[in-house]
Amino acid sequence: MATETVPKTSWADDVDELEQPKTEDFVDENGIRTTIEYAVNEDGKKVKITRRTKRTLQKSLVEHAVAEHKTWSKFGHEKGNKPGPDRATTTVGENVFLKLSQGNKSSEPEPSAEKTMKATLAKAGAGKVVCRLCKGDHFTAKCPYKDSLAGLEETPPAGNDDDGETALPAAPAAPGAPSKYIPPSMRGNRGPGESMRGTGSRDDLPTLRVTNISEDTQENDLRDLFGTFGRVARVYVGRDRETGIGKGFAFVSFEDKATAQRAMEKTHGRGYDSLILNVQWSQPREQK
Amino acid sequence: MRPILLQGHERSLTQIKFNREGDLLFSCSKDLTINVWFSHNGERLGTYEGHNGAVWTIDVDSQSRFMVSGSADNEMRLWSVQTGKCLFVWEFPTAVKHVAFNEDDDQIVCITEQRMGHQGAIRVFNINREGDGTNQSLEPVSLFHPVGSKPTVCAFPYMSGLILTGHESGKVALFDAKTGDEVLNNERAHMDNVTDLQLSADRSYFVTSSKDKTARIHDAKTLRVLKTFSTETPLNSAALAPDQPYVLLGGGQEAMSVTTTSARQGKFETRFWHKVFEEEVGRVKGHFGPVNTIAIHPQGIAYASGGEDGFVRVHHFDESYTKAKPYGDLEIIN
Repeated sequence: MATETVPKTSWADDVDELEQPKTEDFVDENGIRTTIEYAVNEDGKKVKITRRTKRTLQKSLVEHAVAEHKTWSKFGHEKGNKPGPDRATTTVGENVFLKLSQGNKSSEPEPSAEKTMKATLAKAGAGKVVCRLCKGDHFTAKCPYKDSLAGLEETPPAGNDDDGETALPAAPAAPGAPSKYIPPSMRGNRGPGESMRGTGSRDDLPTLRVTNISEDTQENDLRDLFGTFGRVARVYVGRDRETGIGKGFAFVSFEDKATAQRAMEKTHGRGYDSLILNVQWSQPREQK
Repeated sequence: MRPILLQGHERSLTQIKFNREGDLLFSCSKDLTINVWFSHNGERLGTYEGHNGAVWTIDVDSQSRFMVSGSADNEMRLWSVQTGKCLFVWEFPTAVKHVAFNEDDDQIVCITEQRMGHQGAIRVFNINREGDGTNQSLEPVSLFHPVGSKPTVCAFPYMSGLILTGHESGKVALFDAKTGDEVLNNERAHMDNVTDLQLSADRSYFVTSSKDKTARIHDAKTLRVLKTFSTETPLNSAALAPDQPYVLLGGGQEAMSVTTTSARQGKFETRFWHKVFEEEVGRVKGHFGPVNTIAIHPQGIAYASGGEDGFVRVHHFDESYTKAKPYGDLEIIN
């Protein structure tokens, strides 16, 4: 029979209290109860929790029947249990919101996947999420300036001392006459009849070797990426001859060496398509 | 609102009911027990034990003296609310799917299922309120088998001598309690199984929920559909909020297909609809499975929902609930 009087508790509620200091609990003359507890917080630090509580009796008028129901003794599974809710069967849930408004078809707004991820990261001690482009508190992939590569413009452009062309990708070539359209073949003070591909042969163009790109990167993708630094003369993506799948490398030729230099500095080590780009000067074939 | 979670059941809830004062909340589930809770703090007063099958339905009388329950073990039991003792047992050939007290607490109507060659039947019993309640008559005062679609839910409307039923086909009908004649019906009240039927406080109109994703308010006398609330999910329960112009709807995807969807897609929220304008005004989430049953405190200060997940959640409304005027100040001009 003795076992029956032991209040039911779940094993999960049992707290290992062996190595913790004793809790204090006293009531002062004003009827304020002070409870001092020691606990280990999430960071593994011991904390002292002091709670001051004052109990005030709140009376409410209820119907006779309701008052009578309160005096009923418990029965069934609850037989013999002391009054008050049992934690095994009664718990208080999370706060929920009910906002009544016209045509409201949503419960409380659910936290977005990003917020949930940030919360879990913060919990795991990974610190704050900082965008690599704009230093905002969002993922780099979610950066609003991702497409414009705004982060790259933060530092002063390195190579615009010799030529104004490097700053803007679509800038007209001739600085003197910006309003007038100049066909590509005539740009760069070239005369008609000359090759569109620039002055020298293709090997003379400053070329970057881009490796660690994903298999499905297309020429146009790289043209978009590097086009922000200046005019891209040529893009070649290494592909498997039979399947046509990218082999993970590409050559990007610029018309201008300074532009290429700046592009290399900016894009080397940057994430692109979930991979980290490796950008170096392309070595001429003869030197290998 | 901070809901109180009641974990007294191991299986999905089938019905929950407040007593007339609203201080006690009765819950029954597919496990064998019936629980009674204090609604204001969620303390469990006791359990009623004796059934050997899923308890499908319960009802409590207006004096909180007797409670009646129907179960899949083919029994209907009468209980003493205060002590938890079983006072009387009626046995039937098939499972009891729905029970209800009448307004005077002296009659019970029950629906037994159509199964194993037995016809579905509606029985009305007189309840002897003299003495301790153990002296009841085994014989029903009336027994009839409705033809056509089988009844799923039943209640006593305000008109004496009639029984209101909801059917598997979506039909809503009125039967003569003595002769069993179908007095009136509305075959097209719903397009699918009627899952719940709850009367207004004065029993003059009632709300039904159905698997056809709608809930409807009907006039009890003419069975005319007064209002329709169309949702995007099958509904298991509908309740009328007293003093406020809202209808609470609960439902969600079928339990069998729940695992294929996330909680958000499953639409397991309790929906608040405006009774008059037939427009949704709010939602409360919380359950991990479909909401099987909803009950509202008779004074309109709280509501409880029981889900397929085995939890009962008791929500005491915030002040904002009574103050909210989603459609502005509405004046009733006579």
